Amino acid sequence: MENENFENRTDLSKLSTAVNQIKYTLAQIIVGQQDSIDLLIAGILADGHILIEGVPGVAKTLTAKLISKAIDARYSRIQFTPDLMPSDILGTSVFNPKNAEFEFKQGPVFGNIILIDEINRAPAKTQSALFEVMEERQVTIDGHTYKMQEPFTVLATQNPVEQEGTYRLPEAQLDRFLFKVEIKYPTLEEEIAIITRQHQQKTTDQLSHIQPVLSGADIIALRQQVRSFHVEAKLLEFVAKIIHETRNHKSLFLGGSPRASLAIINAAKAVAAIKGRDFITPDDIIYVAAPVLRHRIMLTPDKEMEGVSPDDVVAQIIQKLEIPR
Amino acid sequence: MLRLLCTIFFVLLVYAGNGAVPAVKPVKQPLVLKTDTAKITLRRLDTATIAVHSKQPEFQYRDDTDTTPSWWDRFWRWFWSLFKPIKLGQHGMSPFLRILSYVLQYLLLAAGLAAIVFLVLKLMGIDMLNIFRRKPTSANLPFTESLENIHDINFDDEIEKAVAQHNYRLAVRLLYLKCLKQLSDADLIKWQIDKTNSAYIDELTNAHQRQLFSSLTLQFEYVWYGEFAIDGKTFKNINTVFQDFNKGIA
Repeated sequence: MENENFENRTDLSKLSTAVNQIKYTLAQIIVGQQDSIDLLIAGILADGHILIEGVPGVAKTLTAKLISKAIDARYSRIQFTPDLMPSDILGTSVFNPKNAEFEFKQGPVFGNIILIDEINRAPAKTQSALFEVMEERQVTIDGHTYKMQEPFTVLATQNPVEQEGTYRLPEAQLDRFLFKVEIKYPTLEEEIAIITRQHQQKTTDQLSHIQPVLSGADIIALRQQVRSFHVEAKLLEFVAKIIHETRNHKSLFLGGSPRASLAIINAAKAVAAIKGRDFITPDDIIYVAAPVLRHRIMLTPDKEMEGVSPDDVVAQIIQKLEIPR
Repeated sequence: MLRLLCTIFFVLLVYAGNGAVPAVKPVKQPLVLKTDTAKITLRRLDTATIAVHSKQPEFQYRDDTDTTPSWWDRFWRWFWSLFKPIKLGQHGMSPFLRILSYVLQYLLLAAGLAAIVFLVLKLMGIDMLNIFRRKPTSANLPFTESLENIHDINFDDEIEKAVAQHNYRLAVRLLYLKCLKQLSDADLIKWQIDKTNSAYIDELTNAHQRQLFSSLTLQFEYVWYGEFAIDGKTFKNINTVFQDFNKGIA
């Protein structure tokens, strides 16, 4: 039996090498979490911002820092606290007595990879400061608009809202995140591996020997390549149907936005790239549907009390739809 | 921040108040008592004038209005009398218990009215529990669903037609669906419209069969989802591979 060998329309060898290198770099420090790492890489390739959620101590921040280290770009970290002001993030105009003029001092948001740690520790006022910069990649202060330098990616971490001293993120902001990646507790085997690795570690600085594998320019080029991937018409309809169903599902108070449809397509393209294809399949769409939608859709109060999760509803919706074939 | 602003505002207010009105020193003035020396003239009404006035209806204060309560008043009197047991000892009660008895009285009234409304609406067939809930509307999708049943398709005829039209992409799709049908007929997979190709691959327990089917799936995906153009020769090769696999199932 001889198979027909198809070759992708675009050369994905550089992308595959980069993805493998990032995975290898992360695997040196992070145990398990393969799905989360794949989604993080997919998020960066899809030019999206990523929200990482998990209980304290599951290496959310470490994973985000490793991703940042693997990319040779301007890295910036903001620790969100309840007293943080919008100007602490965006920057502020300061009077310069030498020339008697106001000068804009850039805030930490002016970078390429922005790690916002504990994003839900700041109130809505501070969160609102991120709206413009996350969506339009620009900051408007005192009538001046400052464009962000590409690549621009926000990696934010948060604890679940049930934890003390946290705020629920505004829906408008949640919608700006491509993925919400949930980091779960490790399995028993993984936990043993974590302890063993830590026990054998001679240096406390785990990140010191991590070398960047991609430059900012590489990321821009890979993103352009992923954006050009092929999508069959029926798959576009399939995504539209999923989002449409979220708007009419009886368990949901708020459905997905058109931005969610676009996010699914972009994310599915990135997943296809990781799998070595330059076109998407229904599997790619289903793989990204839950991480794209879980933070955008809102359950009705009764379903929330019943313990139904957004992932359950997304699975129900997909189960009802015919796979385009 | 708000607290700070309020404090500043209060301080400023006090300061401004102190500044605007200078302190006035009280001036002692001598007390002078004056005696009213005006002459008083006493006037009296005579009895005749009083008699004239008393005959006018405006000065007759007899209450001859009908005090019989209307049926509406009687109804409410009766209604409130139902709550009299609650008001027991109203005069001897402490203010707290009196307020409590009033609150209880109105709560019972509200509950009674709500029960009546609920009963009436229930009898009318209106679901009160879901009256404020958004009704799920069925998705009116603007595109057609294929909802093909692979068991109803005559694959050989359809493939022949597609090849005759040089629609090799469709022909590969039909080859793949035929393959799924044969796997389903052989109870190797369970056909469902919501299952993806990878789900069918995972269902195959025979490792060799799974490997072959994975390879066929990849070819189908490149041609169908990837829309890679294929010619007659390529189709012939793909067709041979599918035929070999199908023979293996049978």
